[in-house]
Amino acid sequence: MGWFRGRVLALEGLEMEVQKGEVFGLLGPNGSGKSTAMKMILGLLRPTSGSAEVCGFRAGTISARRQIGFLPENPYFPVFLSGAELVRYYGRLSGLGGAGLEKRVKELLELVRLGGEAGKRPLRTYSKGMLQRAGLAGALVGDPEILMLDEPTAGVDPAGSREIRDLILELKARGKTVIFSSHLLEQVEDVADRVIILHRGKKLREGRLEDLLTRKNEWEVKVQGLPEGDRQELLVWLKKKGGQVVREGAPREKLEDYFLRSLPEETRR
Amino acid sequence: MIGCLRRISAVAGNTFLEAVRQKVFAVLLVFALVLIGGANYFTEFSFQEQFKFLKDLGYAAISLTGLLVGLLGAAQLIPGEIEKRTILTALCRPLRRWEFVVGKYFGLTAYLALMVVVMALAVWGVLGWKEGQFLRAEGLDPEAAAAIRAEAMDPRLLQAVLLVGAKLAVVAALAVFFSTIATSTTFVMAMTLLVYLIGHLQSVAREQWLEAGEVSRWTVRIFLAVVALLVPDFNLYNLIDEIVAGNVVVWRTTLEVVGYSGVYIGVLLAAAACMFEGRDI
Repeated sequence: MGWFRGRVLALEGLEMEVQKGEVFGLLGPNGSGKSTAMKMILGLLRPTSGSAEVCGFRAGTISARRQIGFLPENPYFPVFLSGAELVRYYGRLSGLGGAGLEKRVKELLELVRLGGEAGKRPLRTYSKGMLQRAGLAGALVGDPEILMLDEPTAGVDPAGSREIRDLILELKARGKTVIFSSHLLEQVEDVADRVIILHRGKKLREGRLEDLLTRKNEWEVKVQGLPEGDRQELLVWLKKKGGQVVREGAPREKLEDYFLRSLPEETRR
Repeated sequence: MIGCLRRISAVAGNTFLEAVRQKVFAVLLVFALVLIGGANYFTEFSFQEQFKFLKDLGYAAISLTGLLVGLLGAAQLIPGEIEKRTILTALCRPLRRWEFVVGKYFGLTAYLALMVVVMALAVWGVLGWKEGQFLRAEGLDPEAAAAIRAEAMDPRLLQAVLLVGAKLAVVAALAVFFSTIATSTTFVMAMTLLVYLIGHLQSVAREQWLEAGEVSRWTVRIFLAVVALLVPDFNLYNLIDEIVAGNVVVWRTTLEVVGYSGVYIGVLLAAAACMFEGRDI
């Protein structure tokens, strides 16, 4: 950390494995080591001990980095570039060039909805959501197997956040592996197949969301169109059978869904 | 190999573009051009003095502006990217760290070269303009006209441009080296300036010590040898003053100094790449 400041162990004994094609969530409070883990996989930080492999290559090597597209927590991009220039620059850094690169830049800008005039504007005029989408296009330009997204929705409004969520799902459908960190647990729940929970550099829990979140001793059924009288009768029957009714009543919509539904159609997109 | 060149050129191109889009560099360039152009209005001299004054001021403006741009630009190259964290999005790609350092250096050097060329053309233009004025004033005296032409359009000025460029390229390489170990732009600028000054003073100091007979002790000898080896001798570029003063400097000497600069640039970039390789981002 610097002279006379001592050393901090950012990660300790972390073991994790991400399967091809899955969406993997890194969870934990600030300072838990999520970004450090990502930086180590990318070779930006060197571990004092231990190792990592990316698609069979030692983490941090050129071959390993070729497999990864990275989107940092904040839009750390050269703001003097336009959206298209940014994606082109990252493409050239990934060894691409010529007509193939131009085609890819166009396709990706369309994918993240920054095609046309928006892609020609300087990044300094972009909103946070637009910057994240431009960064996502930049992360995808080398056609990596793995996408590593560090807090991709931090500071992004609900509509932008939903767009990024949809993009993650679309990438998953295309067979990409996505590793991402987020504080928005609801969003993680929506997209992740598996999660790991870190705290002060150590692993607390890891597993499939289905296994971690399902309350196996409870049973839930959603019913529509049942008259009030029948509902009461059903409750009585459940009690008679020995069941304990934990929660009962009309289900509530998620605030995010309600908010987005309230916006005009063109704002939602 | 093609991929490597493509990545280096991508970093260099981006660095060049960043420099071109920086208003502060454009302002410095405009300032230098105004200075060079303004020198034309000092007309109290004979034509020999006038041309010498124009060349002196022109080359001083090129050197000073280039030095400022080189220092400011190089100081921002890596510490600036680390401060803004844009380096994360570059180094996470299949890009080797040495490619990043070399690309950054080439981008900055290309911009410095462009500035030197633009300013040298301005000096050349001002000299040409003054030549026309003197020719009109002197009438059709062929002898005087030939002397004026020889003073104004001296081909040796090309040597001076080359030497200014080489000197600035060494300063930029020094700044790039310090930028790979520094965390702040101030440190880079301070260290580069310090070495620049030592580089100017070292040969003078060495001569003084030799004359005073203080180099008999082997420790002093080793110290002098280490300083001479580590710090480029910037006094070599004083050939520019010789050229501007109208003295003959053979091309061979000029090219030797350019070669000397090339060796230092190579060593500094190799050292910078080594230092940067092990650095945590």
